[in-house]
Parts: sequence; C-alpha cells; structure tokens
Amino acid sequence: MRALCVQRSCLFYNFNCEIMDIMNRTKIVFETYSTEETAKIAFQMAADAAAGQVFALIGDLGVGKTVFTKGFAEGLGIDEPVSSPTFTILQIYEEGRLPLYHFDVYRIEEPEEMEEVGFDEYVYGDGVCLIEWANRIEEILPDDTIYVVIEKDLGKGLDYRKITVVRPGEGS
Amino acid sequence: MKILAIEASGPVAGCALLEDGTLTAEYSVQYKKKHSQSLVPMLNEMKEMLDLDLSSIDFIAVTAGPGSFTGLRIGAATVKGLGLALDKPVLPVPTVDSLACGLYGTDCVICPLMDARRQQVYTGIYENKDGLRILEPQCVTALTEITGKLNELGREVIFLGDGVPVNEEALRDEMKVPYLIAPAHLNRQRAASTAVRAAQIYAEKGEEALVSADDFRPEYLRVPQAERERGDKRNYKVFV
Repeated sequence: MRALCVQRSCLFYNFNCEIMDIMNRTKIVFETYSTEETAKIAFQMAADAAAGQVFALIGDLGVGKTVFTKGFAEGLGIDEPVSSPTFTILQIYEEGRLPLYHFDVYRIEEPEEMEEVGFDEYVYGDGVCLIEWANRIEEILPDDTIYVVIEKDLGKGLDYRKITVVRPGEGS
Repeated sequence: MKILAIEASGPVAGCALLEDGTLTAEYSVQYKKKHSQSLVPMLNEMKEMLDLDLSSIDFIAVTAGPGSFTGLRIGAATVKGLGLALDKPVLPVPTVDSLACGLYGTDCVICPLMDARRQQVYTGIYENKDGLRILEPQCVTALTEITGKLNELGREVIFLGDGVPVNEEALRDEMKVPYLIAPAHLNRQRAASTAVRAAQIYAEKGEEALVSADDFRPEYLRVPQAERERGDKRNYKVFV
C-alpha cells in the first residue's frame, strides 16, 4: 500500500491511505493490489455503515464493482450470494445487520425512471443502499451520499485499483 | 350496499367492510412489516371473522394515491387481483380526501400532511362539518406553500398524517394561525375512512365513480424530477 501526495497520511481499516478535507467533504484515497484487498475495504465500510446511508459505487466495466459489492454484503453479515441487479434494477437482502438495497442503474436512461422503483423509499429509508453506476442518476442522490469511485491504472499493474471514498463532513 | 375497503397508501395496512352504513369490521396495522406480507392475511382474517362471502360485495374501495410507491402498488395489485377474481369493480379514493374524512363535525379546517420526502408533502385543505368539502384538492408541494394558504384562510387548522412529525418544527415556524394535531387514533389513514368516503363518492357519482379492476391504476401525483431539482447539479468528478 503506498501513499499519494494529498493532505495527510493515516491508517484506515489497516490500509495506508491519504485523507483530504475538501469542500465540506472528506476524501480518502486507498490503493489496493488485489481483489481481496478491495473486498476487505468494502467489508469494513459495510461493518461501519449506519442505517440510512447511501453508497454510490462508480467505476467502469471490469473495475471491480462486483468484488466490492460482495465484500460489502459480507460486511453486513449477508451470506446469501449477491446477484447482479442489472436487469432487476434493485435487489433487496434482509438477513444482514441492516437491510441492503442493492441497485444497479446501468440500464436507467432518465433519473425519473427511478420513481417507478420507489427509489426514495429506499434511499431515505432505514437500510443501507449500494448503487452501482450511481453516476447515471447523480441528480437524485441524497446530499449525504457516500461516493466510492474505483479506477484502474494499468501502469501500476493489472490488479491495481485506486479507490476514492468521498464522505460528507470533515475530519473523518 | 357492501363495500370492501383496502388501505396501503402509507404506513398503515388495513381493510374494512362497510355494510349498509355499518362498519362491520376494520383491521389496521402500522408496523414495519411490509404491506405485501400483512394485507392478504389481514383480509383473510376479516373474511373469516365476518363469515363473509366475497362475491356479495358491491365494489372494492382503495386509496389510489398519492402515497408510497410500493404501498400504492401493493394496494393496487391486491385490489386488482380481488376485482378480477370476483368480477367486481374498483372505486378509487384520493388518499388525502380519505385522510380528511377521518375527522368530522369540526369548524376547523382539516389539513392532512403526508410525507413525500425531499422537503415535500402530499396535502390538501378540507372542511368536514357535516360532509366533506374540498377547499384545496390534493397535491404535492413544499410545506411552506400549504402553510401560506392556511395562514391566508385565517381559520384554526387540524393537521394529521405521517407528514406531521417530520415537519413539526417547520409548522411551529410557519403557522400564524392556531392549529391542532389530531391524536393517534385519528391521525393516520384508515380503511374505514376510505370505505365511508367511497360510499359518499358513490352516492354522488354512481357508476361513474367505478373503474374495472383491469383498468385501475394508482395515481402517484409526483412532480417530474427535472422540475424538482434546484440548486447545484452535483458532479462527483469534482472530488475524484
């Protein structure tokens, strides 16, 4: 795990990372070198998640959103296999510590379509939402959405991922 | 006249039977269990309790909207399923009207508030001294819009609905006229109110008020998202 040149280094979830306070939000940048490491971060985030939180999971095809999601579900204590909601848009898991509302909005063309799914009831509800491709419906995400952006950098290896987590509030 | 009423538009799941002006049964639960799990068992229990032959009902009343998307869909599915199986029509009742019917014989103005999230409420303004009068038909709007209208009316108001707790502070700030908040047993949707309102609507409009189970659709009353969003358009790329 290596450091990038931003505000301060620290240990978060046992990963070295960089934390920066920016525009009323806290940005944490992790670097991972394997799917296990990515899943570990997801696991921890889920274990710390509070009811009502919304996680926007953003990244291109093949970047590891599914790996992240599976780690996340495990972190909530969900043993059931997590299947892709690409066609169903929403999949609900109730047996974890908190209900998990797993969205995949890849197929959504207009944010208005999300009304049909009852989006507001989940996103302002008592569970945890994880929304893949959330950038497609950014306009209707709650203000305190936590962004998780996963990027590759082939110059750093095939398995390298840069995971940027942006949370509302400062001084995480 | 036998009216079966279903309530699933909000936090309450309920059913009721109004038979020739007598409420023979009303079941009501406001609990986290999803309406999809509670409605049909509840209906079944009521049916058993009343030795009810479902084919003897005249129509099925349901709060048709606004309300929670999933709730309205569950109510609609239940009512359509029943209606198709029994070959009975549906009488859609506007949710906010049904809420207002829960209060009666008051000189106050009645204002139901349903939480529509994103700082909005489903609401309307009514009188129900000896019959429901609609002063402001049901709508979705910002709370300040409706408090503005109520202040203009200058009369005492009774508020009810799940939109009250969420807006309690704002009401204290915005309301210039005196107001009451209905107590718990009068504060939420009731299948009994829906049944009574349906009977009133039928008395007024007859067959015109009915719709086939096949054709019935909920009415969501949502403002298109594009109109709703104001202010900064977020772009996560600013941070990454």
